[in-house]
Amino acid sequence: MSRLQYVFGEALRNMGRNALVVLGAVLAVFVSLFLVFGTLMFGEIASENAAQWSDDVRVEAFLSDELRNVDQLQGEIAEWSDVDEVTYVSKPEAVENAREIFADNQAILDLIDEDPSFIPASLRIRPSDLQDYDGIASRLEATPGVLEVISAGDAVNQLISLRDGLQVFSWALAIALGAAAIALIANTIHMAVYARREEIEIMKLVGASNWYVRVPFLLEGMLEGLIGALVAVAVGLGAYRLGFDQIQGLVPLIDLTVSTDFLLQRAIVIVLFGVVVGAVGSAISLAVHRYIRT
Amino acid sequence: MIRLENVTKVYDGGVVALKDVSIDVSKGEFVFLVGPSGSGKSTLIRLMMREERPTNGEIWIAGKHASKMPNWKVPHLRRSIGTVFQDFKLLPTKTVFENVSYALEVTGRPRNLVRNQVPQVLKLVGLSAKSDRYPRQLSGGEQQRVSVARAFVNRPLILLADEPTGNLDPATSVGIMRILDRINRTGTTVVMATHDHAIVDAMRRRVVQVERGRIVRDQSRGAYEQRTDAVEPAPIIRTEAGESRAARELAEAEAELAELPIDEEFESPDDLDAGESFEEGLG
Repeated sequence: MSRLQYVFGEALRNMGRNALVVLGAVLAVFVSLFLVFGTLMFGEIASENAAQWSDDVRVEAFLSDELRNVDQLQGEIAEWSDVDEVTYVSKPEAVENAREIFADNQAILDLIDEDPSFIPASLRIRPSDLQDYDGIASRLEATPGVLEVISAGDAVNQLISLRDGLQVFSWALAIALGAAAIALIANTIHMAVYARREEIEIMKLVGASNWYVRVPFLLEGMLEGLIGALVAVAVGLGAYRLGFDQIQGLVPLIDLTVSTDFLLQRAIVIVLFGVVVGAVGSAISLAVHRYIRT
Repeated sequence: MIRLENVTKVYDGGVVALKDVSIDVSKGEFVFLVGPSGSGKSTLIRLMMREERPTNGEIWIAGKHASKMPNWKVPHLRRSIGTVFQDFKLLPTKTVFENVSYALEVTGRPRNLVRNQVPQVLKLVGLSAKSDRYPRQLSGGEQQRVSVARAFVNRPLILLADEPTGNLDPATSVGIMRILDRINRTGTTVVMATHDHAIVDAMRRRVVQVERGRIVRDQSRGAYEQRTDAVEPAPIIRTEAGESRAARELAEAEAELAELPIDEEFESPDDLDAGESFEEGLG
């Protein structure tokens, strides 16, 4: 019990002694982790939306009227590993769909009524993954009996690359900012050790164990990381709650809703990350500091 | 208690501090390390407290093979070694009592031991009345006595002192030497590096003279300078001249010292030897 008191007492006393430096480190952790939290949320929103849109993406292969063995072709395509589902849209169904789509356009409806046979039957294919779209389309184009292949093509590709780019970006940012936070915490611990070098020297002379000397500093770093992370999470969640309606109004096409589960999970991860950042920062500082090493 | 075998110490940068030095200090001995600045005295002290490792050779301290000891074991070794330095190394923000109790607290000793041991050892060094003062309120001699009290409060097997009187005037130095002598008479091995001719000549203990990293003389009951015609001077620690209230306090404390409880946590050197070979057997 008195050990715990000592360790926390020393850590807090150290932090009080270098309040400004500690504030700097905590702010650095806060800014870093706030941005990390933000990019994680942003990435989640992008990938949720991409997933929703990609659910609706179909590759449509229009079939020549001469094609006889449609069933066989449908079966073959369904066997492709990157294909989730193949639906046959017969000519009468296609005509029906066309009527619905162009219900407002009398000229086209007249055209369809005149001779509905120009609307081809088609196979509607759902890729198992958004990325497989290109491969499926090019293989279909090479298939005899297929007149034309259409899809949401480039739009889908752009969405995919946006999602992937965001993921890479947020990880890169997280790593860079995490490294910055570690460096700043290492610096505060370095200064705390320097401020207490005489005491450390005496502790070592009288035989205090290495951990007895180190743990308060380690704890100090972890507390700084923890506080910075808690503030980052609180500000992040607060900003999301308060700013949600306004921002959603600006981008009606994108659904900004993120599940509470996701938020809580990431908040915990951020807080743990903060503690780890603090521990690593102080550990680095303690490992290189000449007053601490034996 | 302390054994150095063919020890050579070369610092980074190629400075050779000690060349092929061997010393054997038995339990209860009082040894002066003498020699000019830069001769290697301080390096010897630092090797004996395992602050440094030898470049070559073997060192045993308190029955432990210090030159082979991993760093994480050093704190435990330090608990059987008290150290005193020229610059006192007291914490300015702590009182006399706190400075001494610090040595017990950071090694996790129980509070009641602290409450018993600290006043006793403060009495031994004649500072009972000043236990609530801060170092800046004390004279140099008093500060050094606090430092000695801190070194001894653990009841160490060995006390290493590097120029403990280097910053003190001769009269004050005598007070410090009295205390070190008393500590030595409790069975604690004392090794003291010094420049102080008067002290060495007065005490007439074993003298190890170091020059340019080599031991040039190892003489029991020696003087600072090697002289065959030396007149044995009156031992200053026996003199009554200039005795102050502090000195009377010291005399009273001397009686107390004999009754100081020996800390049972410290094993006898024989036990330590047995422990070491046991550990080696495990390794």
